[in-house]
Amino acid sequence: MGRWLAFLILALAASGCAPVRPWERDALARPDMAWDPDPLGAQLGDHIHFSKEASLGGGPGGGGGCGCN
Amino acid sequence: MRRGRAHRAAMRRARQRRRHRRRLARRPSALVRALTASALALPGLAFPAAADSPPTQAQSDYHYSRYSEDAVESKKVAAGSERNRYEIDIHQFRFETGLSDRVGFGMDITHEAMSGATPWYVTPGPRGEPVQVMTAATIDEARTDALLTGDYYLDRGKVTLTGGVSSENDYLAFNAGLGGERQFNDKNTTLSAGVAASFDRITPEDTNKYPTRPKEENKQSYDVYLAASQVLGPATIVQTSVKYQLATGFLSDPYKLAYVAGAPETDERPDLRNQVSWLTRFRHHFRAAKASLHFDYMFYADDWKMYSHTFTLAWYQTLFDRLQLVPSVRYYSQSQAEFYEPYYLVPRSDGYRSSDYRLSPYGAYEYGIKAEFPFELWSLNWALSAAYERYVSGADLALEKVDVENPGLVSYNLFTVGVTGRF
Amino acid sequence: MFPARVRMSCAAALLSVALAVPAAALEKGDRAPDFSAPGLSGGTVSLSAYRGKVVYLDFWASWCGPCAQALPAIESLRKEFAPGDFQVIAVNLDRNPALAKKFLSKRPVGYPSATDPKGALPAQFGVDSMPTSFLIDRSGVVRHVQRGFRESDLAPLREQIQKLVADKR
Repeated sequence: MGRWLAFLILALAASGCAPVRPWERDALARPDMAWDPDPLGAQLGDHIHFSKEASLGGGPGGGGGCGCN
Repeated sequence: MRRGRAHRAAMRRARQRRRHRRRLARRPSALVRALTASALALPGLAFPAAADSPPTQAQSDYHYSRYSEDAVESKKVAAGSERNRYEIDIHQFRFETGLSDRVGFGMDITHEAMSGATPWYVTPGPRGEPVQVMTAATIDEARTDALLTGDYYLDRGKVTLTGGVSSENDYLAFNAGLGGERQFNDKNTTLSAGVAASFDRITPEDTNKYPTRPKEENKQSYDVYLAASQVLGPATIVQTSVKYQLATGFLSDPYKLAYVAGAPETDERPDLRNQVSWLTRFRHHFRAAKASLHFDYMFYADDWKMYSHTFTLAWYQTLFDRLQLVPSVRYYSQSQAEFYEPYYLVPRSDGYRSSDYRLSPYGAYEYGIKAEFPFELWSLNWALSAAYERYVSGADLALEKVDVENPGLVSYNLFTVGVTGRF
Repeated sequence: MFPARVRMSCAAALLSVALAVPAAALEKGDRAPDFSAPGLSGGTVSLSAYRGKVVYLDFWASWCGPCAQALPAIESLRKEFAPGDFQVIAVNLDRNPALAKKFLSKRPVGYPSATDPKGALPAQFGVDSMPTSFLIDRSGVVRHVQRGFRESDLAPLREQIQKLVADKR
């Protein structure tokens, strides 16, 4: 857990945190950079986990992506 | 306000100088640049559906999945009890399209056919160890779910309306939701929020055979969520969200019993549950490797004194500029509900009782592999996919020490094949 | 461990949600800066070469959905108004120009595309959305900034081009 936190902070610092310009979002526009590249798979997974475990799934949310239009 | 040409030019030069300095600070080393091969994006299905405007093409997806639970170990089950658990055939169908420049529409339909036995109640065995008694195997039960989604896209945001129905032999539920998101900071920051509600009615089967079973019960749940996401770099994004749910009404399981002081009694849980989940998601793309890393962590807590941690890691690897392979792992650990016991020697003063394994303390790991292959046919874009997942649970896998494992803990295999078409 | 400037720009970016100062884009009435950039299929593309014509300058990338949607629409506009000295120039912003070439080989257009993988031109023009296009009159002044692309933008754009093409000054 601590290692992942360190990685997150490192990525944050390394990126410089400056706003990414609209024409620099090619990587963010990739389907494999979506929150759920496989909506049906995620839907089924959430349903199974909700049925078989006690927890509640997380909420949806936007952001990332192409940023186009 | 009109500014002089000279002023605007001076401002532009100043901006360029600042950007040039930032760009120099971020430029990768010569070695990384040399290693960066031409990263050709996946052809065909290159544009993700979740963008900032309605889809320009219609897309249809179909998945077939086979879910099969491991049989209960003979040492954990009462003599003569059915050992085979659930087998479910799942069909998922999705369709989405843009209705206009600013309106998107989506439809999700799921149909499941289930057969098999489920845990019924737990009794103490000869040495006091908990022993699972299973229900008789059901021949077949079916569930159908339908969900409609409408999106209205603004210049820097989106409003979403959802409505759905879920129906089973003994169950009917309606749900609705409203959400919105807004982008800031040159679309680097997104804030979103939403509310949802669900109204469920359960009419348990075989109430003549089992007179203690309730004949008809209702349940309501209300959700609210808040989320914030931030672009951390040209290939890095993070999102954190909090969801709160209030569930009221009949929250017990009408098909389960709890063994109390020598006799099986109906499952009785509080008629109120406050739940909170906090999910953080991280995505990073490695250009040189042509791969993306997904990492999710979720913390959950409720007022039944349950809490859980979920860690998910997935690696999206593009191969030969076409095939995508996604290995993934998930680790889950939950504590127990306050009133849970495998069986009760004396009744609780608050009258609650449940031996449902889903309220017991345990941990689980899951690993899986998914493959997706896009191609073009008849001038349309298609993709075929196949996936396998294995889920294994056990009390010894929990983060905290568990004294007694519920004998009904489940492990399963999930196979999925799918096809997607864009037209 | 991390330089103060990084920490501060990070905090500033995260906290400046509503206070963020957007990049000042080239606006209607501004003179479009001249530029000379390598063409995607070789040669050079320069804006000043088209002085005296009505120019539609389109910033696009192959990974941008609405940009791809705009291409055939822009091509049809070009064909319609070409006799009236209407010229389209595109600036492709793919980091890897090979992707843009592959994209255009499947959906060819009749206008030149410059390549600017480093993004110097969109920075200079203050591009704040993808796609962004500038409609420039015969004297080199920006008359309309098209941010994003939707089907409903086509008709008003056609009207604007018609007016500028008719103005022979």
